[in-house]
Amino acid sequence: MQYMVPEFEVERNTSRCISCGACVRQCSYEVHYFDVDGKTVLADESKCVACHRCATICPTHAIKIKAYDMAYKPHANWTPVVQQEILKQAQTGGVLLSGMSNNKPYPIYWDRILLNASQVTNPSIDPLREPMEIRTYLGRKPKKLEFHKNGKLKTKLEPQIKLETPIMFSAMSFGSISFNAQKSLAMAARKLGTLFNTGEGGMHPGLREYSDCAVVQVASGRFGVYKDYLENCRFIEIKIGQGAKPGIGGHLPGEKVTVEVSNARMIPEGSDAISPAPHHDIYSIEDLRQLIWSLKEATQYKKPVAVKIAAVHNCSAIVSGVARAGADIVVMDGFRGGTGAAPTRIRDNVGIPIELALAAADQRLRDESIRGTVSLVAAGSFRNSADIVKAIALGADAVYVASAPLIAMGCHMCQQCQTGKCNWGIATQRPELVKRLNPEIMHERVVNLITAWNHEIKEMLGGMGLNSIDSLRGNRMMLRGIGLSDRELSILGIAHAGE
Amino acid sequence: MKQYAIVGASAAGLSCAKTLRTLDPDCEITLFTDEPFLPYSRPIISYYLKDKVQADQIYLQPSDFYTKHRIRVRTNTRVAAVQTGTLTTEGGETLKFDKILLATGSVPFVPPMENVGAQENVFTFLTMREAERLKAYAKPNMHAVIIGAGLIGLKAAEGLRPLVESVTVVELADKVLPSILDDEAAKTVRAHLDANGVETLLGDTVVRAEGEKTITAVTLKSGKTLPCDLLVLAVGVRPNTVLAERAGAEVNRGITVNRDTMETTVPGVFAAGDCVRSYDILDGQEKIIALWPNAVREGMTAAYNMAGQEHKDTGSFAVNAIDFFGLRICTCGLIRAEGATVLTREGEGFCKRLLVKDNRLVGFVLLNASERAGIYTALIQNKVDLNTLSGDLLDEPGLMLFSREVRTEKLTGGVRV
Amino acid sequence: MKKVIAREALCLDCKLCEVFCRTAHSKSKDVVRAHLYEDPAPVARITVEGDILDSVAVNCRHCDDPACVNACITGAMHKDPETGIVSCDESRCIGCMTCLAVCPVGCIKPGRTAVKCDLCQETGEPACVKNCPNRALVYVEVGGDAQ
Repeated sequence: MQYMVPEFEVERNTSRCISCGACVRQCSYEVHYFDVDGKTVLADESKCVACHRCATICPTHAIKIKAYDMAYKPHANWTPVVQQEILKQAQTGGVLLSGMSNNKPYPIYWDRILLNASQVTNPSIDPLREPMEIRTYLGRKPKKLEFHKNGKLKTKLEPQIKLETPIMFSAMSFGSISFNAQKSLAMAARKLGTLFNTGEGGMHPGLREYSDCAVVQVASGRFGVYKDYLENCRFIEIKIGQGAKPGIGGHLPGEKVTVEVSNARMIPEGSDAISPAPHHDIYSIEDLRQLIWSLKEATQYKKPVAVKIAAVHNCSAIVSGVARAGADIVVMDGFRGGTGAAPTRIRDNVGIPIELALAAADQRLRDESIRGTVSLVAAGSFRNSADIVKAIALGADAVYVASAPLIAMGCHMCQQCQTGKCNWGIATQRPELVKRLNPEIMHERVVNLITAWNHEIKEMLGGMGLNSIDSLRGNRMMLRGIGLSDRELSILGIAHAGE
Repeated sequence: MKQYAIVGASAAGLSCAKTLRTLDPDCEITLFTDEPFLPYSRPIISYYLKDKVQADQIYLQPSDFYTKHRIRVRTNTRVAAVQTGTLTTEGGETLKFDKILLATGSVPFVPPMENVGAQENVFTFLTMREAERLKAYAKPNMHAVIIGAGLIGLKAAEGLRPLVESVTVVELADKVLPSILDDEAAKTVRAHLDANGVETLLGDTVVRAEGEKTITAVTLKSGKTLPCDLLVLAVGVRPNTVLAERAGAEVNRGITVNRDTMETTVPGVFAAGDCVRSYDILDGQEKIIALWPNAVREGMTAAYNMAGQEHKDTGSFAVNAIDFFGLRICTCGLIRAEGATVLTREGEGFCKRLLVKDNRLVGFVLLNASERAGIYTALIQNKVDLNTLSGDLLDEPGLMLFSREVRTEKLTGGVRV
Repeated sequence: MKKVIAREALCLDCKLCEVFCRTAHSKSKDVVRAHLYEDPAPVARITVEGDILDSVAVNCRHCDDPACVNACITGAMHKDPETGIVSCDESRCIGCMTCLAVCPVGCIKPGRTAVKCDLCQETGEPACVKNCPNRALVYVEVGGDAQ
């Protein structure tokens, strides 16, 4: 007997259903099926994950997915979700797995921070009439600049990454997402003048032509890492941790290691791709320093090296250590960052919000007078352009986004990435599903999204009387908290609204 | 300016005229027909008989087509003779031409029968005139006898059925549609005709008729006598080669033509359609293939070569689609071939028979299963090696039979997008 | 001329092209009414062949030398010399289906008359292309003999 009840219910408006079967053929979870008459469409709701592919493709909008309306005796502690999870584990004996990101109702500090706007003095700027600069450079900055007599720069600059927007696409490996999804991001990145990130799965040969807008990752599994890989990128990112699952490695099951995945990762086809929790050669900041400089040496000091860590309790000290180890860019990934698969308990309980981690790290680097030696990139759930503006005011040089562009490509946050059955062709390697995601269409949608955000960022900057994103960076005077405790305000380094 | 003459205004003649106009915008084209109509569809006359089309709907082109394309159509004009560069009509007119096409089609073949001739109720079923006469004559209390269970005879039977009391088809062969169906399929068709009130008598024929001015009954070879108020002669047709012979061209049952150019043995005189001996690409034989698509193609080939443009005819093969009382029959290629195997699938109300020889499809008979039959036709025409296909050939055919490359080529014609 | 080109690698087997083709060739032009209430039911002039793994939409290629036109015994099937569009004048077609027996891609549908793609001449943009969710169908200039 199945102890679990379905989560969702499929409501089919039979007065509109034309039995075209699009839902039947499009559902990889096999929810919809034809009755023996070949005409009536039925549904096995227990399989539905609420990805909404059927409802979206239905030409007559005859399908609605509803929550399964099961009444439980009210209990504030033993909620239906808690009970369902227990039932699932009682049945499987396994670790609960989830995709995407922490879905628990922790405070979202972005929603408790308000932006400033100019009135009368320091007037606001209209970005449609006046230049507005959001171009961003990442990389180690010199302490001071010296010039030759003829005006030419004397100071030797470390390699800098020029971005036309402070928004980059975060790491998602080939394996965790499809080639088409990666390609869409790569195409969008090129059009937008920003970067995509290969993740830890190596680089698919089909993406080599996008190496001018690629970030390549070196993670604990070292998949697909070789000289050519390191040289075909804009910067190299050492992945220490991930916001969705700090302290945890990764495990791509063998069945997902297709020929293509195996080629990109340089591992045998069908073998499990295991990313250990730690890098087995890194036990200290000194070890990390060795890897950073090895990578720089391997690439003739032409490529900046970034280090990505998960936002955890004492992350500002870690960021300081990483900066001192020689990283050019430090990426902090908050606990609402996404993942292709994580143990649910880890996803939902480990790590801290990026807002607090970012503010603390920026402050610490300033206090130690080394803020200029690194660029700070914040990651871990930016839902809109306002979140990004606030992050930059808290001290970020740039941000990484992933979930938002995935949503632009069709993701409906069903959080079933780990099943590999993504009906939107994103988190899957099944060819019949992958082809649903046409990079030609999807990169346009991503470009649209980021272009819209760029416009909004400029509007907000203009409202604050700023004409350059550099003037906003770390400018916490532009932020006020609302409904926050003194402690929270002090960590964020901002005043309360009304102050 | 070139002068082209075309004798015969059906499939081959009209297609030749149309093609000539596209090849040479300036030339003079004269189309002769001994019938009083602008080019019309002869196969449509059975639909006229059963009122599915009206008399004004039989035409292949709207009447302004001919003025627009400057094609002079001479109706009611029979061409009597063709000499070098000149033709003479029965009315004594002459016309000079550079090239001429003989698309004279066929004439009904009437076997020798006692006392069958000029009676008012003897009909053939090839022309609109005959169809009109038949329609006007038929009365609900009449018994109709049709000699011949070929395509024409059965179409006449279908058209006549609602107009008369009874329809009996007498066929000398041991099956209906002997030229296009195998024995099994013919049985099914016969049963279907029977169910729709058309009686068929096989292995028999009319030997004598009763009545002087009007036939009242016919006697069969078997000795049987049938009441008969209306007799349709549909035993078969013969190529109409009279003009070709007068022009001095070689005729061997049909007009002999160069298989690539459709030119007869007399230079400048071309022939196309039912009156010629076509080259069957499937068995390599030269034979009369009196079918519409064949005539159209040959007319086109002739036009190119008349206009002096290089164009090689692709060769003929039989393909047929017809329906009787709702039963769709679609056939193509050979009915039988030595060393061939037959793949069969039968089901509720349909039947498929595919003839395969040397790993090539060489013929098919489809009863109520003509969906996408053209794919089979193309397999036959292109002599595709069946080993290169995937899937069950007996299922509804489709492009999925082919490899992805072949399929893409067929669909995109090499266009890359 | 412009033709509908199917990009097989992008075909999802959703068959929305068929649905919207039927709708575009219905009386009501309403997707629900066209499928549930119209009699005779409208016929799709495009067919998705194959299965979820490999599928492709097939409709008329509007051939330069169309076999269907050459085979038509009534003149109903014709190729417009200006647009290059091959269409069937359903008022003249007697439903003999000879066209169907010779079409090399199998795109003509049997019915009371032969039914085939007319590239949505009325609206100018084929409904199948407009409604393909994955741009597997594109409407592009491909040359050919149309003037």
